[in-house]
Amino acid sequence: MTERPLEKHTQLWVGPQHPGITGNMSVQIWVQGDTIQLGRTHVGYLHRGFEKLVERRKFIQAFPIVCRICVPEPDTNEYLLTAGLEELAGIEIPERAKWLRTLVLELARLAATVQALGGQAGTLGLGVVPNWTYTLRDYILDRFEELSGGRVYHMYIIYGGVRRDIPEGFFERLEGTLKTIEERLPALDNLIFDNAVFQKRTQGVGIVKPEWIDEMGISGPTARGCGRPIDIRRVDPYLVYPALDFDVITADGCDIWSRTLVRRGDIEQSIKIIRQIMRQIPDGPFCARLPNMLHWKIPTGQTYLRAEASRGEMGYYMVTDGSDKLRRMHVRGPSYVHGFSLLERMLPGLNIADLSATMVSMQTCPPEMER
Amino acid sequence: MNNLQGLADYAIRAWFSVPDPARWPYTWLVYLGFILLAGLIAVGFAAGFAGPMSFIERRIAGRMMSRIGPNRVGPQGIFQFIADGIKSLLKEDIVPAEADRPLFLLAPYLVFTGMFGTFVALPFAAHVIAADLDVGILWLLAIPSLVVVGLLMAGWGSNSKWAVFGGVRSAAQLVSYEIPSAFALLSVVLFAGTLSTQGIIAAQGPWPWEWFIFRNPLLFVTFFIFFISALAEGNRAPFDLPEAESELVSGYNVEYSGMRFVFFFFAEWANLWVMSALATTAFLGGWQVPGMPAVEIAAMTGWRFVGWEALSFLIFALKTSVLVFVVVQLRWTLPRLRVDQLMTTCWKYLVPLSLITLTGNLVLLALVPERGVVDWMMRGLMVLIAAALALRYLQRVRANYLADRENYRKMEGKELWYPPYRLP
Repeated sequence: MTERPLEKHTQLWVGPQHPGITGNMSVQIWVQGDTIQLGRTHVGYLHRGFEKLVERRKFIQAFPIVCRICVPEPDTNEYLLTAGLEELAGIEIPERAKWLRTLVLELARLAATVQALGGQAGTLGLGVVPNWTYTLRDYILDRFEELSGGRVYHMYIIYGGVRRDIPEGFFERLEGTLKTIEERLPALDNLIFDNAVFQKRTQGVGIVKPEWIDEMGISGPTARGCGRPIDIRRVDPYLVYPALDFDVITADGCDIWSRTLVRRGDIEQSIKIIRQIMRQIPDGPFCARLPNMLHWKIPTGQTYLRAEASRGEMGYYMVTDGSDKLRRMHVRGPSYVHGFSLLERMLPGLNIADLSATMVSMQTCPPEMER
Repeated sequence: MNNLQGLADYAIRAWFSVPDPARWPYTWLVYLGFILLAGLIAVGFAAGFAGPMSFIERRIAGRMMSRIGPNRVGPQGIFQFIADGIKSLLKEDIVPAEADRPLFLLAPYLVFTGMFGTFVALPFAAHVIAADLDVGILWLLAIPSLVVVGLLMAGWGSNSKWAVFGGVRSAAQLVSYEIPSAFALLSVVLFAGTLSTQGIIAAQGPWPWEWFIFRNPLLFVTFFIFFISALAEGNRAPFDLPEAESELVSGYNVEYSGMRFVFFFFAEWANLWVMSALATTAFLGGWQVPGMPAVEIAAMTGWRFVGWEALSFLIFALKTSVLVFVVVQLRWTLPRLRVDQLMTTCWKYLVPLSLITLTGNLVLLALVPERGVVDWMMRGLMVLIAAALALRYLQRVRANYLADRENYRKMEGKELWYPPYRLP
């Protein structure tokens, strides 16, 4: 990259303090008029060294750290950490725990997707929708609070299963929450998808070319918005997903509109999955017997596990060396691909106004980029 | 006493017992005093409108967003705008070190002046107008151009790239949208045969079928052209690009703080009234009181005169507030357009459309005799269409109210005691 890529340009820094940016990162753009000619993403404003922090702590102490890798949806991180270490230590978890984990993962996906839908509308100046979706997310957080005691960081999934069984009458209240969300969805559709201005702003904007998917490792709604049904829940099934009936939503516009449509479909699918879990969950213990956590040592080994987060493929690579700490942990977050290199590719030719809409349409999460 | 000068002359005659004010040496002094007084009243009115309006809009927004809105300062939070004003007054007036100081300091006043200059020719009631200019419409189109200069100065003077973007965007937007709005008003001027705002109102009648908006189908379209252009000129959603927060942070006023920021803010809220009042004047019959022509009001004296004037003002304010509410509602239901889409809307749709309606209006003016059979048929048809639309609107308001009441009863187990602010 040259310092001055163009004859006539204005250089702008979008972020790190900018309302249109998803979190603490910045995008340096060179514009002519309102059109972006070139863009560079800069991260490092939020680097807390999650991986190294985990490697210096005992296994049980890792939970508060991995939660923070993605704030809107922390449960995927907890699941991957526990599942990876259970695999390395050879711990079998009870059947009920698997169902409960799936339930929590889907609840978290629902909360994150609902929030993302509102965020998408918010970037285009539709200030009402984020408020509505945050309300809906809050109802889900109420259920999380009941389940785990925490609203944002749950730490519900632990080694050997889950931390506690569901409280009494939880499913009835959860069903009420799902009903509420379903009742409000038509209003959201009215305001978002039936809105002519929203259609004008999103259709054909923020194109992800289908050939980039394999080249860059794009996954999640961003890939599914290009018509490729990449969903780790189907590609590489984990937990009880093979037993569940759900559709992989795709759309083929490759633009912000398609990604929003995929999110909208994901909300319905998540609700469907949660209903199935509530019907089919078996009885039994919710946690396996575990060794003393303070002296838990895991034999030498390595593993890579992946799961579908609401933003795409989330993967954990973990190496143990027989001690009570991880030798190496590496987090592969979808945002690293989407928000970093893919965004840079998408920027040229984009209007300044569409920058934040494009970024939010991929739900990039800066902590995930700088683990 | 049709205007300020008449009032001043009347006062000179009455208070100083001068028979001929034109020859009295101190006349200019009295005139100056009256001008200052009128200015104060206009600004006071604008302040009295802008402040509460900001509170009302925030409450409406809160209602639409399923939250409460400001409710801490005073009963139900109605003094929120006063608290905000005091806070802004007490804040430090920061001028960025690298800013172009004179431009930066001057810009808010230009915006303020441009916006409040319009109050000179805006009528409020049958005989309440600062100056019934012969070229009132021209003045109303010309004086807001000062706002463009002010916004450009604010953007450039801030020495911030985001502010420049906001300033340039808003200049481009205002200059572009002045054209369709001017053409739209030109149609009205053709029908009224005068440029004076009071004259335009006098050319209409008090009843809906006598308003210009329902005069013929083309003027009905013209009204919407004017309304959309006025929205864009006032930087209101969906045309609020100069201050698009997710793109430009806050646009041209991003570096301003304290009272200077309030000037921008104030001008923006006052503009709500200006654009709605202009639309009411040109299309919705202004202050016309049913069954009482302006001439008869002028012939009255004493409290009867004041009472009828107040009634005409109430009618005018009611029509204007309806438009203001529509604008507020639009803001919270429509996303923002992109710059190129904004320009497309103006140059590819509104400008050609306004030219077509202008030509069509000319043809109608030449061919259809006023108050002939065809004229009455057109008016009747338009009024019927509008009545149907209004009925549908009220139906939805009622449906929403019923739904709200039901929800409230379900959630709280109590009857809804306040009217919900949600509109369709």
